[in-house]
Amino acid sequence: MDALALVALAGLVTVLGVLFVGLRQRQRVSQRLDRLANRISGAPSLASRSPSRAVGRLEQVLEAHEARQQEDEKQQRYEQVLDALDVGVVLVDAKGEITFANSSATWFQDGRHSEAVVAQKLQDSLDAVLEGSVTEQQVAENLVLFGPPKRTLSLFAKPLFTADSISGAIAVIRDVTELEQTNTVRRDFVTNISHELRTPIGAVSLLAETLIDEQDLEVQDSLAKRLIVEAERLTNTVNDLLELSEIEHSNTSEYQPLSLHKVVASAHDRVRAAASQMGVVIEITAGDKDYLVCGDRRQLTSAVFNLFDNAVKFSDGGMISVSLRDEHGRATLAIADTGIGIPRRDLDRIFERFYRVERGRGRDRGGTGLGLAMVSHIVSNHQGHLKVNSIEGEGSTFTIELPLVSPQAI
Amino acid sequence: MTEELRKSYHDELESIREMIVRMAGLVGEKIPQGTEAFLAGDLAQAQRIIEDDDVIDAMSVELEERCYQVLALQQPMASDLRAITTALWMNAEIERSGDLMANIAQATRRVYGSSFTPVIRGLIAQMGDEASRLFRLAIDSYAEGNSGLAVALDDIDDRLDELHLDAIAAIFESNREQVFDLQVGVQLALVCRFYERIGDHAVNMGERVRYMVDGWLPEHSGALRAQARASTNPPTST
Repeated sequence: MDALALVALAGLVTVLGVLFVGLRQRQRVSQRLDRLANRISGAPSLASRSPSRAVGRLEQVLEAHEARQQEDEKQQRYEQVLDALDVGVVLVDAKGEITFANSSATWFQDGRHSEAVVAQKLQDSLDAVLEGSVTEQQVAENLVLFGPPKRTLSLFAKPLFTADSISGAIAVIRDVTELEQTNTVRRDFVTNISHELRTPIGAVSLLAETLIDEQDLEVQDSLAKRLIVEAERLTNTVNDLLELSEIEHSNTSEYQPLSLHKVVASAHDRVRAAASQMGVVIEITAGDKDYLVCGDRRQLTSAVFNLFDNAVKFSDGGMISVSLRDEHGRATLAIADTGIGIPRRDLDRIFERFYRVERGRGRDRGGTGLGLAMVSHIVSNHQGHLKVNSIEGEGSTFTIELPLVSPQAI
Repeated sequence: MTEELRKSYHDELESIREMIVRMAGLVGEKIPQGTEAFLAGDLAQAQRIIEDDDVIDAMSVELEERCYQVLALQQPMASDLRAITTALWMNAEIERSGDLMANIAQATRRVYGSSFTPVIRGLIAQMGDEASRLFRLAIDSYAEGNSGLAVALDDIDDRLDELHLDAIAAIFESNREQVFDLQVGVQLALVCRFYERIGDHAVNMGERVRYMVDGWLPEHSGALRAQARASTNPPTST
C-alpha cells in the first residue's frame, strides 16, 4: 500500500512538475515575444499573459511597423525625386516654419550675398500667400540678381489647403537666366535684322526717287554716290549673311593641316593698309615654332582678319599686339588692342548676329554686325574656344584657342 | 539665467547675426545694380534702388532696437558683448553703404543724357566691381568670424583708392577737353567718391570683425602710443 501511494505521489509530482515547467515556458515565451514587440514598436506595453496574445500583439506591431516603413520609404522616394530636380522647392507649415527644402533650395537659405535677397523674397512671398494678401492667393514673379554673376530667378508660391483651411505653402524657385537670355537674343535678332536690311533698302529707294526728280547735275552726282554707298552696304550685309550660312553648313571632313603663322600673316596683309591709314601699329610676336592646326584656310583667315579689322576700327591710332603661343597643347592666338573697349554688359552678347554695343557704333565704321558671329562659328567649327576680355577705355583682347596637330600625324 | 532663457538669448544673438548678413546681402546687390543703372542711364532701375533704400533703413532701425533690447535685458558680457557692439557698428556701416548706393542712383538722374568717355566708363565699372568685392569680403569675414580676412581688407582697399585717383585724373582731363559740363564732372567725381567711401566702410567693418574675434581695434595702438608719449614726456605745469 505504501509503495502504491508512493508511486502515485511520484506520478503526481511528475505531472505537477511538467505542468509547472510548461507554465514557466509559456510565460517565458510570452515575455520574449512582448520584449520583441516592444523593441519593434519602441513603446512598452502591458505584459501579455499567453503566448497566443503575445503573438497577436507582435503581429499588430509588425503590421504597424511595416506600414510605417512603407510610409518612410515613400517619403524618402519623394524627397529623392524632389532633390533630383534642378528647381528649388520649399514647403512651410501654416506658421511659416520651413518643413522641407530640397537640395536645390538649401542654398537659398542663410545666404549672405545675392542668396540673402532670394531668402528675403522667398519669406515675403510665403508670408503673403499664407496671409492671403495677394490676389488669387499666389505669387509668380521674376527676380533679377546682379551678383556677380547676374542671374534671373523665377519665383512661384501658393498656399496648400486641407478641407477648409490653409495647412501651409509651397514655393518653387527656378533659375531662368538662360531662358531669359535666349528670349532676349531672339527678340533682338528680329529687331536688328529688320533694321539692318530695311535701313539701306529704304535709303536706296529714297535716293533713287530723289535722283529721278533732281535736275542739278552736282546734286545728281552726290545722290548717285550716296546710292552706291548704300548699295555697297546692303551688298556687304547680304554677302556676310551668305558667308555665315556657308560657315554654318561647312563640311569639316575637308579640313587640311595648315600653318597658323601663314593664316595670321595672310590676315595681316589684308588689314595692313587700313591699319596704316588709321595710324594703328600692329606688333606680332609668334616665335619660330610653326603651329599646325587642322582646318579651312579661307575660314580661319577670315576669322583672324575680322578680329584684326575690328581692332583697327576701334583703336583710333593705338596699338595692336598679336601673340601666338602653345598653351597645354593648344595653339593660342591673342589679339589685344588699346581701343575703346567693350562695356561689360555687352560682353556676353557681342557674338550674336547683328548685335551692336551701341546703335551706329559699328555701322559708322563700316561694319555689318556679323563679323564676330562669323568668328565665333568658325572657331566652334574648328573645335576651338573664343574668349574676350575687355575694359572700357583700356582695350580688348580676343583669344582663339585651337587644337594643335603634330607634324607626325599628317 | 535658466536654461530656457539662455537658449532664447543665444537664439536672439544668432538671429541678429543672420539679420546683419541678410541686410548686407540686400545692400551688396545694390552695388552692381547701381553701377549698371548709372552706366546705362537706366532711370527705372535707379528709382528702384532709391525706393529699396527705405527697406534697408527699416531693417537697420529694427536691428538697432533688437541690439539695444539684448543689451538692456540680457546684459551680455565678454564675447557676447563684443558681438552685440559689433552688430551695432556693422549695422551703421551697412546702412551707410546702402545710402551711398542711393546717392549714386540719384546721380544717375542728374547726369541723365550725358555721355562719358570710354576711359571714365571703364574706371567707374572697375570701381563698382572693386567696391562690390570689398563689401562681399567684409561680410564674409563677419559671417565666418575670419579675422585674417578682416585685417587684409585695408590692403585690398588700396586698389579701389588707386582707381579713385585715376578716375579723378580722367575727369579733370575730360573737363579740360570739355567733353562734358562742369556739373556733370562734379557728379562723376562724387560718384567715384561714393564708391571709394563704400570701400572705406568695408575696411571699417573688417576692423570691427577683428574686434569681435580678437578684442583688438587699430585705435588701441594709437592709444598705447599716446600713453607711452605721456609717460616719457609728462605735461609740465606753467
